[in-house]
Amino acid sequence: MAANKDVEKVDLAEEKPASPILIQMGIFAAILFVSSLISPLFPASFPVPTPVIGLVILYALLASHIVKLRNVEKFGDFMISLIAFLFVPSGIQLAASLDILKTQGVQIVVVVLIATIVLLVVVAYTAAFLIRIRKNVFHRNVDVDDD
Amino acid sequence: MMILTATPHMAVWGKWLGDALGTNAAGASAGNALFGIFLSLIVYLIGQWLFKIGKGFFLFQPLFVGMVLGIFILYLMARAFGTDTATFYKSAYLPGGNIIFWFLNPATIAFAIPLYRRNDVVKRFWLEIVLALIIGLVISLFIIYYAAKLFGLDKVGIASMLPQAATTAIAMPIATAIGGNAAVTAMACILNAVIIYALGDWLVKFFRINNDPIGAGLGLGTAGHTVGSAKALQLGSIQGSMASIAVVIISIVVDIVVPPFATMMGLR
Repeated sequence: MAANKDVEKVDLAEEKPASPILIQMGIFAAILFVSSLISPLFPASFPVPTPVIGLVILYALLASHIVKLRNVEKFGDFMISLIAFLFVPSGIQLAASLDILKTQGVQIVVVVLIATIVLLVVVAYTAAFLIRIRKNVFHRNVDVDDD
Repeated sequence: MMILTATPHMAVWGKWLGDALGTNAAGASAGNALFGIFLSLIVYLIGQWLFKIGKGFFLFQPLFVGMVLGIFILYLMARAFGTDTATFYKSAYLPGGNIIFWFLNPATIAFAIPLYRRNDVVKRFWLEIVLALIIGLVISLFIIYYAAKLFGLDKVGIASMLPQAATTAIAMPIATAIGGNAAVTAMACILNAVIIYALGDWLVKFFRINNDPIGAGLGLGTAGHTVGSAKALQLGSIQGSMASIAVVIISIVVDIVVPPFATMMGLR
């Protein structure tokens, strides 16, 4: 709870306006560039792609208050609002592998459908179970303010 | 090019169109990127329009409509040009598609923002988050393995199904390493996102997943990648934050857990 207040305080205390959009894009570009330099350093048997490193870097910069929310928020929220559209080329990419679908297509699609539901339900229930253990076995407060 | 070069008059048009789509010179040249961008926009906007007039019917989700309609249009155009769909896709659609695809990089990084906004939850529950993702993935791997076996997938098919919880760029090399087909794995990752995008709301309601906001976020991020995170953000800030952290951590967990799991199951 205290940490949450901190985050809010940081936002409210600085009523400076959001950074210009070009600055925000520049921050994203700089993080992407550094991430693309780090990514090849990982061995081929343990791949870590550029955007995943970038997410960790931006989170670390925000958590250490080097980058403020107002520096990246506007552009970041805009990109997130576009995510479904940005996935359209990935979806259409299946046009290149239609011949894989011809041989084992139906089975693969069914197994992926099952796998998606299994991952969603099992992970969600496991987390809910662990949080119940924290509450009932260790008697810790697990209330989080929802909005 | 068969249909379009039927008459001399048509030949001019055929060359003009072929230049724009990159299908001349046996499909070797990179076409005009605008076609791919334009097609993506049009099919997505049609999806949004259908979703609106269909009163939110789940099969009319814009991403799903965009994907099916886009592939269908490419298939028809490939037949009109007398090539196969895969070749036509590469020469005509890919240059523009890649430009849009590139923007997934900054969009993925942007999920650090909702993650940081609920840093209070991350700090308090980090142990539960990591444990839930590790235990949840191991249980899921067993179910996925036996489901794939039940539906008669061969060894390559099973191996391709295992890494799909990770983001595509991690899942593909791991699939290759454990004897799977990277293209099938990439397809699985894309389908994960499309399925969560289309069925996510219904699944969350049916399995009462949102009773625990942390679990809901972690589940949506694991099953639906960044698209699942966008879905989770619609449920609330905690869900969005948890889904964002799940995308990162599950990828690393897949990196570590799936290769030994495949060895244990005798896949390699």
